[in-house]
Formats: sequence, C-alpha cells, structure tokens
Amino acid sequence: MPTLVGVFEQPLAVAELARHLRQRGFEELEIYSPVPSHELDRALDEKPSRVRIFTLIGGLLGVTTGYAMTVWMSLDWPIMIGGKPYASVAPYTVIAFELTILLGGLFTLLGLFVVGRLPYGRFGKTDPAYHPRFSAEEFGLVVRCRDRDVSEVDGLLRRASAKEVTLVEA
Amino acid sequence: MTPPPALPVAALMQPDVEMPDSAANRALLSPLGRPSLRYWALLGVAVATVVYGLSVWMYQIYAGMGVAGYAHPVFWGVYIVTFVFWVGIAHAGTLISAILYLFRSKWRNAINRSAEAMTVFAVATAGLFPLIHLGRVYRAYWLLPYPNERGLWPNFKSPLLWDVFAISTYATVSIVFLFVGLIPDIAIARDRARGWRKLLYPALALGWHGTARQWKAHNRTVLHLSGLATPLVLSVHSVVSWDFAMSIVPGWHATIFAPYFVAGAIFSGMALVLTVVIPIRRIYGLEAYITDYHFDNMAKFILLTSTIVGYAYVTEYFIAWYSAVETERTSFFLRAFGPYWVSTWIMITCNAIFPQLLWFKKLRTHVPSLFAIAFLVNIGMWFERYVIIVGSLSTEYDPSVWVTYTPTWVELSILAWSFAWFSMFFLIFLKLFPVVAIAEMKEIVIHEKEHAPRRGDVWNHAHTFGEIH
Repeated sequence: MPTLVGVFEQPLAVAELARHLRQRGFEELEIYSPVPSHELDRALDEKPSRVRIFTLIGGLLGVTTGYAMTVWMSLDWPIMIGGKPYASVAPYTVIAFELTILLGGLFTLLGLFVVGRLPYGRFGKTDPAYHPRFSAEEFGLVVRCRDRDVSEVDGLLRRASAKEVTLVEA
Repeated sequence: MTPPPALPVAALMQPDVEMPDSAANRALLSPLGRPSLRYWALLGVAVATVVYGLSVWMYQIYAGMGVAGYAHPVFWGVYIVTFVFWVGIAHAGTLISAILYLFRSKWRNAINRSAEAMTVFAVATAGLFPLIHLGRVYRAYWLLPYPNERGLWPNFKSPLLWDVFAISTYATVSIVFLFVGLIPDIAIARDRARGWRKLLYPALALGWHGTARQWKAHNRTVLHLSGLATPLVLSVHSVVSWDFAMSIVPGWHATIFAPYFVAGAIFSGMALVLTVVIPIRRIYGLEAYITDYHFDNMAKFILLTSTIVGYAYVTEYFIAWYSAVETERTSFFLRAFGPYWVSTWIMITCNAIFPQLLWFKKLRTHVPSLFAIAFLVNIGMWFERYVIIVGSLSTEYDPSVWVTYTPTWVELSILAWSFAWFSMFFLIFLKLFPVVAIAEMKEIVIHEKEHAPRRGDVWNHAHTFGEIH
C-alpha cells in the first residue's frame, strides 16, 4: 500500500489532521514527533496510557512483598530485639515503602517497553517513512492508504499546511 | 489491479533533501565532539586518582581497618562522613528532575539532565563507602536477605538495614529515570552519529522513532517515575538521618534530624550542580540554553535551604541547652569550642552565613561569586557531617573514654578517590550523552513558535533562551 508522509511545523496541525483522517476512515496512521506533545498524545488514541496499570501493579506488589517478607522472615527465626514484638510492623513500613518505590519504578519501565513497544525495529534500521528531520524540529504524519486515495490524502495533507509531502512506498 | 493513482507517483517522490537540522540539536550535541587535550588531561588525572584510591583500598583490606584512624569509641569516621556527603549530593538531581517536573517548573529543563546524571554518579560513589567502611568487604552480601545455611535473616528493625534498601532503591530508580529521559536524546544522536558511535546509539536508543505511541508511553512513564521519585528523595535522606537519630548518642538523638538532613542534602546537591554546570556552560558555550535565569533560580534554592539548615543549627543548640541534659549540653559545647572547633566554624560560616549573601540579586547573577559560594557550600556540607558524626561519637557519656579522632592518610586518599571517581564518570558521560535534555529544550522552542504572539506566558521566553529561536 502507498505510504505518504507529510512534514509539518506544528504539532497542533498534525493532531487536527490526524483526527480528521481517522473520521474519514484512514486508520493506518503514524505520527513522528521530535518532542513530547499533549496534543499528539490524544491524536491517535484518546484513552489514557496503559503504563499506569503497570505502575499500580508494581507498587502493590512492592508494598505486599515488603511487609510479607519482613514479617515472615522475623517469624521464621524469632529473635527478641529491643523488647519489641518479633514482627513489628511500624519499622517494617520503611522497607515496604522502599520496595513500593523500587518495584513501582521497575514496573513502570516495563510498562514503557510493553506499551511503547520498545525495543522496536531492527538494529540500526529505521522505518522507511522515518527521516532524521523528525528528530530535529519537524513533525511527520504518515498515512498508509489505497492507491486510489493517494491524491485525496495528498490534498488533505497539503491543505493542512504540510511543508512537504513525500510518497515513500508506491 | 487497482486503478492508477490520480497523480503520477513520480511527481510526488522527491530526492532526499539536505537535512534541516535544528539549532538546538547542533548546539547541544556539540559537547560530544572530539575531546580536547584539556579533557584528556582532566580524565587522566581522575583515572590516575581512582587507580591510586583503589590500591589504597586494597592495602586497607589487606592490612585491616587499623590503618584507618578509628579510635575507640569513634568507629564511624571519614568513610561514613563521605557516604552521607555523597548521598546528599545525589538529592538535587531527583529534586530537579522529579519534584520540579511535577510542579511544571520549565526552567528545570536546562539543568535536569546534568543533575540526574550527577545523582546516579553520586549514589554510585556513596555506595562504595559502606563497603569500604565494612572492612571485610567480601562479606557485604550478608546485608541482603537471602536464604543461607545459618537459617538467619537480617534484622529489619535496624536503621542500617533500612539504609541498604533505601540506597539500593535510590540507585536503581535514579538509573531508570536517567535512562528513560535519555532515550529520545540518544535517538537524536543516533540520527547524526558517525564512526564508532553508530554502534553505540542504535543499541541504546532501542529503536526510538518518536512515534505518537512511544511518546505517549514515555510521557506517562516520566510522570509516574516523578511521582515515585518525589517521596523517595524525601525518604532516602530521612533514612540516612535515622542511622544517627535512632541511636542514643548525644548530638544525634533528635527528631529534627530527618527534615534537617533532607534540607542539607538538597542544599549541598544544588551547590554541586552549580559547581559542575558553571564550568560546562563556559567550556561548551551553552550560555543560550543555561542562562543566568537558571542560575538565579538555583541560587534561590541554595538560599532557602541554607536558611533551613542554619535554622536547624540554631535549634540544635537551643534544644541542647533547653533540655538541661548534661551530655547534650557538653556535646554541643565541645562542638563549638572543643577539639573540632575548626570544623564546626567552617560548617557554620560556609553553610549558614556565606549563602545568605545570595539575598542580593547582583550576586545571584554574578557567575564567579555564585561559583565561589557553591564551592564553599560543598566544603561546608562535608564538614557538617564530620562535625555531627565524629564530634558526637568522640564525646559520648563517659569522659574517661573520650578521644580525639584524626583521619589518616588512608582515609584522606580514599576521600580524594571519591571525588575522582565521581568526576571520571561525569567526564565520560559528558562525551557519550547530551548533557542538556535536547527534546525537552525543543519542546519549549516549538511551543514558543506555536504561541509566538501571546505575551505574559507562564514564564519569560527571553530569560530562558536568549536569542535562540
């Protein structure tokens, strides 16, 4: 299928056009952006990122591990220290807290990899539509469409103030 | 066969045009260029000192802890002082990258990368010291809860074990934070890499294309890591302070310790960020990105935390007097007028008095003065920990066992090693990765382009960027 790339200066134009194209039934879209942008975050997918589920699971796992590990280990070989109960929850909160952060952080990283699909592609190779200008200051909107829609999409891209439109795959 | 496209395909295909690179990329990737002779000289000195320090450490492992200046009852000396010092340094990085991120303080963008890198290297330096202090370093793993033939588990009621968990969590989360922030910038470097760097950056960029999906996951990740790191940064130095405060040593057993240590940590960290960033800005000509506005803000942080630290000093003395506990009163009297009076007065002047000069805007924006004050703060904060740790231990309850502790050449060599170790990592980092977060700086450039006519934005463009557009 032909793939068209429009080069833009502003994220807002890209986001609006992407939404418009999706309404017109073009589903195979991709956006390249040199910077994080909240407009683009919602352009292809309105739902909040699923990374948050990973953080939640990691954090809950951490706090449970923290308390379970310390309490079980204290009871496994009971030693009286400072006249305190064998398993004293108050000081163990420090351990549980640190493990919440540790596992929460590591699971968030895992979330980035899973949700963001990283590592991506082959070593040293980039997608055919990608260009180093998209890690400079320009934005790219990639549309895969049927042959007969090429001229329509080209028109839409240009009308939405694309600086350039390139056909990367015929 | 599908019908032919309405436009001839050939007309749409364009030859590869000369890449229009952004000014930000060019300026901020420039430090990655060929290292100068001065860079190699600096790195050489750092590596040589590290090698020297490692050999001194090996000598200490071989000869035993007697070669350190420990004198009963002072069994915590320069090593623990230096440990606390470096953990404290690490805190500015997380403050800048996480807390200021949550507060949407855009000025952090210019310094967050160097501060995050400093965090990682400072924790890596701090982490060495409990091992050095341990003596029998080959038994360090006993600290971890692992199933063993003795059937024993570590004592989770001990603040020292909390420290193990706090510091290792801190190290891990800081590395994750630094790496996640670096991914888009490594991709920028990948797209422009030459030579051997063509092997390094693709491997580390993980195939980052800056797609909408990747950025969306990335934004969330940074937000959540910031949310996790914010309580972490407050907890880590609190836990370190409890190593002292949970004991009953006069001068340590105080409830003020956690906030006092956290403020001191941010204070010293900010000062070291300034000490490192001021030369980098000058050497690589990054004045357009790291402006006086940023220095002014950091100076205000130093001023605030200096005031908190100074207030804590006054409180400590007041409570020692007001408590009417003989040992507390003696301990604090001896700090100021006993054998460690020099250290104490260095600490008070460098931490609580000189930084107060930053009330003057002239000094906050005068780079040499700022550098001098930041440098003095670094010295003062090392002495603060020296006074707290050594001063309190050497004059505990029973005057008959009071001693005067003096660091030996072994301890001072290892102290020098710690600075060289930190600098070595930082110098290597400087040549491998962008020291200013490029994507975040460009976010502001592009945002400004979009809203160019609007005035009175949350922050002043001119302040932050100078003439770069």
